[in-house]
This record gives sequence, structure tokens and C-alpha cells, in this order.
Amino acid sequence: MLNILRFLSTVALVGLSGILGSTEGFASDPPPADEVGASVSIRMYQVQGTLPADDPNSPQWASVPESEFNLAPQVHWPERIQEVTVNTVKVKGLHDGQNLAILLEYEDPTEDPKDAAAIEFMVGDKKAHFAHGQPMLQVEGGPVNIWFWKKENGKALDMSAKGFKTLSTQEKQDVSATGAWSGGSWKVVFTRALKTEDEEDVQIEPGDWRSVAFSFWDGALVSGVPKEKGSQKAVSSWWSIRAEPSADNSIYGWVIFGLALAAAFELVVVRKLRKGQSA
Amino acid sequence: MKGPLASGAILLVGIFVFIKFLLPLVTAPLPASLIYLYMALAFSGIMLYGTMSASSLESLMGPVFRFLSGEGQSGTGKMARLAVLVLFPLLVGWQTYTSLAPSDLPPGENRTIHPAPPGEFVGLANPYQNNQANINMGKGLYAAYCSPCHGANYDGKGPAAKGFNPPPANFADPGTIAQLQESYLFWRIKKGGVGLPVEAMPWKSAMPRWEAELPDEFIWKIIMGEYDGAHQSPRTWEEDD
Repeated sequence: MLNILRFLSTVALVGLSGILGSTEGFASDPPPADEVGASVSIRMYQVQGTLPADDPNSPQWASVPESEFNLAPQVHWPERIQEVTVNTVKVKGLHDGQNLAILLEYEDPTEDPKDAAAIEFMVGDKKAHFAHGQPMLQVEGGPVNIWFWKKENGKALDMSAKGFKTLSTQEKQDVSATGAWSGGSWKVVFTRALKTEDEEDVQIEPGDWRSVAFSFWDGALVSGVPKEKGSQKAVSSWWSIRAEPSADNSIYGWVIFGLALAAAFELVVVRKLRKGQSA
Repeated sequence: MKGPLASGAILLVGIFVFIKFLLPLVTAPLPASLIYLYMALAFSGIMLYGTMSASSLESLMGPVFRFLSGEGQSGTGKMARLAVLVLFPLLVGWQTYTSLAPSDLPPGENRTIHPAPPGEFVGLANPYQNNQANINMGKGLYAAYCSPCHGANYDGKGPAAKGFNPPPANFADPGTIAQLQESYLFWRIKKGGVGLPVEAMPWKSAMPRWEAELPDEFIWKIIMGEYDGAHQSPRTWEEDD
């Protein structure tokens, strides 16, 4: 009997040290310091009721926390550009369990027909290069899904690419977008169903992270030609995005179960110890 | 308080203080996971030693058993026992919560900054003579092709740098090109971001694949210009020996 007791209490002590160790951070290293210094992710919060999917100026957006990302001129492949108009973008996201809405807000001093904005996603499990999913030499990459909005026609195109010169408009169009320019800045809201039937599309499962990147073109005319067009644009690299999951209350059930189990264990140990000592 | 239990506890604390706080004074800090492993080993060792005979077991664990059973306790001892009995289930509950609660952090990614180059890029020598004319030509090419991101001062702070993740390499930092051989730079410039192996996140690097646009001669001369401009020297095996 005493041996069992000793065994139990040793297990308890080892377990306790394990619990203390992991909660004190002994078991895992801290994440590396963020080198970039801006946001690293976008969280699309769940709303009850209507999604402000076609109104960039809806007061509903005002209370949504924003993420901000720096942009760079596209220098990765020709034709390059050394300086761009849009240097940062603020991003907000919402979803209602069925559809999502992503609001991009960025400064552009003039409203021009050729102004454009795009959101890019990795599709599926394979990582894709942020430059249109161009092939990598040592890693097999996946495709990307690009949502491209242009002021000129006020519409969004649902597109796919897997490498340069493969950008194409999908047969099945699932995205729409609305832009509003005011006082030197654009607000463009993109909307789509979280999930679609199209395997070329990114599928957004609430709770799961996806990779996202952004592009912007200032279509202001310089000598009759748009200042930025095609590969001459402002870009971001990949960041993370997710639709926030509904609250999961089953966690509290497990916590109560854990508490009860620990208390029962204590009870057994103490009772056995008392019996052992009085014996 | 004395006896094997106190000695064991003091030993554990001593080992922890040594590897966590004293060791980093003379060498690099140990990773938290390794510290945890050492502490678990030390704990197991103490338990093994203490349970070798019935009498050593009694002297090691006896105080713990008596404390937990609560026989004949009063005052502080009683309160301490009660606190332990209440705190243990709470700790288990908290641990359950933290391990199940959904994380708000995006998935972590560990990036290898200088991954191993493919075999054909190991040990190549710069075929161009290290003279002022070649260095100047390299610096001119650097200004045209590299400085928008890597900076006119070779510090990774070009006008286009701030939007990139990961940021462009800072060549003036002794941790970058000074640690590398010229053949390594030749590989990185020639193949660019898409030439990286999977552990280096090839899908995030904006480094162009310059072999599509520049002849090898330009690349070797850019390397010369880069080292000269950043006041660094390539790593060589002779210097290491």
C-alpha cells in the first residue's frame, strides 16, 4: 500500500513540475522578435446581422480594429518601379458566418479611372511565392487567388495565377468590390462567401489562418500614361488573415473536468496517506 | 528546515540559478526547452537517489507525506496545506484552459537566415581580379540594381526596404556577408528568393532571380563592390585556420 502511495505521490510531483514548467514558459522558447514593427495579421470579426459588404463608408466599420501594413515598390521582376504612391494600407475584416468583407483604406491624392487594388491569397496547403505564385527552384509551390478591383469599371475580378504570365480571370466569378474615394484616400471593400465551390478559390474556414498579400496601382496619368500599371505597383509580402471562430464553450467543460480530476486525485492521496499513517 | 528534502530542494534551485543566470555570463543563454530538460533530469536524479532504500525514502518523502496527510497540523502548517490542496486543482484547471484556448497569434514560422547553398555553389572563387576598376564597376552596378532595397550605405535601408518581410539584408552588419563566402553571395544573387530552400521561406523573399537579367560577370563584380562598400571581407577558410 505504501509503495503505491509513494508511486502516486512521485507521479504527482513529476506532473506538477511539468505543469509548472510549461506554464512558466520553460517548455517553449519565446517567439523571435518581430523585425518589421507593424501588424502581422488581420482578424475578421464575426458580426450578428448585416455585413457592410457594399459600403466602404458604413459606420459599422468605425469600431472594427484595423491592421496596418507597409508596402514596397514591386522590384522582384521587370518591369520594376522604384517609387510608389501607396506606402501603407490599413485593413479591416468582418464576416457573418457565411460571407466576408475586407476593407482596404489607403492614401492616394487623386481619384483616377486606372486606380486599382488587389488582394492575393494562397490557395490550398502548398505555399506559393507572393509574386503571383511564381515557381520556386527547390520547393513545389501552389497557386494563388487574386481579387482585383479597378475604379474604371467599379468591379472586382476573381483571378488565378501560378507563375508569371499565367494570370487569368476565373470562369466562375465569386468576388465583388466597391470603392469610394474621398479627401485623398481610397476605401475599397471586397466581399465574397467564406467558402465557394470553386477549387481555384481560397477557402476561408473560421478559426484557420490563411496567407494574404496586397497590391495597389496609382492610375494617375503622367504624359498620358498611367503612373503605375501591370507589374509597376505597390506590393506587400505575405501576412496572415483569419475569420474569427464562434466562441467555443466546451473549453470550460474541460477545465471543470480537469479541476474535478485533480481534486479527486488529492482526495485519494490524502485518504491513503492518513490510513497509512494510522496503520 | 533540514534533511534530504531540503537538500534536494536547495540543489534544484541551485542548479536552476546556475544554468539560467550564471551560465549566460560566460556563454550563450541556453534555450528554455534545454533548461527544462536539465531540470527534469536533476529532479529525476534526486528522486532516484532518495528512493534507493526504505530509510532514505522515508527521510526524503516522509515530510511531504506528513504535510499532505495533515495529521497533527495547526496554525501555519494547516493553512499552507490548505493552500496547496486548493492551488493544485486550480493550476490543473488553468493549464487545461491555456492548452485548449484558441491562440490569437498567427502560425509561427522559423526562418533560417543563411540556409545551405546547393552543391554547385560551394567554394566557387571570384574569377575577377580584386582591383579598383572592378570594385568601382561593381559599386556602379550595385547602385543601379541593389541599392533601392539594400541601401546606398549597404545597410539594408534602401527607399524600397520598409515594405518587405523579411527585410533586405544589411551588409554592414557583421552577421551577414562577413560570415559568408563569395560563392554564397553568388548563389543568392543569381537565384534570388525563389532559389531558397524551404526552411528559408522562399515564398516571402522579394530578392530577384538576377541570372535572368545580369551576366555572371556583373554578379561577381557586384559582390566585390558590396564587400568594399560595406567595409567587410568575405569569409575564407584560410583565416579560420
